[in-house]
Amino acid sequence: MIFRMLIVCAACLAVPAQAQNHDPATPPAVAAKVSLRGDAIGVRVSEIRITRPNDILVVQADFGNAERTDRMVFYRFKWLDAVGNQVGDGESWKQMTVLGLGQQTVKSVAPAGIATDFRLEMYVNQ
Amino acid sequence: MQSPRLLCIALLAGVSIITGCTTQSLSAPVVRFDRQVNYGDAKAVELVTNEFGSSDLQMIAEKMTGSLLETGIFQGRPTVTISTVKNKTSEYIDTTNVMNSIQTTLVKSGKVRFTRAISEMQPGVDELQRQNQSGLYKQTTTAKVGQMTAARYSMEGELTSIVKQSAATKDVYYKFTLKLFDVQEGTIEWQDEKEIRKTTKR
Repeated sequence: MIFRMLIVCAACLAVPAQAQNHDPATPPAVAAKVSLRGDAIGVRVSEIRITRPNDILVVQADFGNAERTDRMVFYRFKWLDAVGNQVGDGESWKQMTVLGLGQQTVKSVAPAGIATDFRLEMYVNQ
Repeated sequence: MQSPRLLCIALLAGVSIITGCTTQSLSAPVVRFDRQVNYGDAKAVELVTNEFGSSDLQMIAEKMTGSLLETGIFQGRPTVTISTVKNKTSEYIDTTNVMNSIQTTLVKSGKVRFTRAISEMQPGVDELQRQNQSGLYKQTTTAKVGQMTAARYSMEGELTSIVKQSAATKDVYYKFTLKLFDVQEGTIEWQDEKEIRKTTKR
């Protein structure tokens, strides 16, 4: 019995670590654009707005903290072309504090006109 | 009597499953001495000290290039030159590095053409003189003097800082301002700022 339990536990550890645990308040359409590493711990991306002025993709994302504790969020945008290849060398990671029950909007502009898609990579300090 | 033995066997089996096979780990193809040195992510957030660092440089460059590309001021691929970048902080900061990052991203975007900055002019003049005055080259292949394209816009930047310090806290506020001047008209056609706050607590 114990042996069987240990095997089950080992199988549990084998679950991929990169499983995305988005906050339930993050809409599925937004979650599809967000690459979350680890747990969201109450941090949600409530909305993402995309515009294309002057043939350049511009994205704004609203972060919200559902809990009373301040959260440290690391994020960056990854720009993709029409076939899914990364455009440019990649943005630098940014650090941002989302205050308890607060909201923060972040914005980024694609480095070239060939960028047609993006991913928001984020990590909430555990 | 047999249950503790069974428990031990089960535990050992479990541990071996969790840790994997106990084969000898393979060595990486590196040469190093005792000290631990590793390559890191050049785009990671650098929090070693609160002095001006790589993350600040990258954030400034990304904000400025994004703002410039978004405005559409570069319609028709105009020519731009980099003028002065003043460092008004108390730190030694190579501001050319900031402008190089901005220039690199803008050139790669294909939306703008850069002409030689004042600091880059002498090597260009030397090469023109070598081609035209040394008598070494075929006349049909030499670059002609007086054919350089002048810049329509000039880019000027400034980095300032405010430092506040108490016994337990040090707060540094950086502000980078970038302006794009129309050379002929002398007007500011675009301007933006990037603010950075870094606080260290003991």
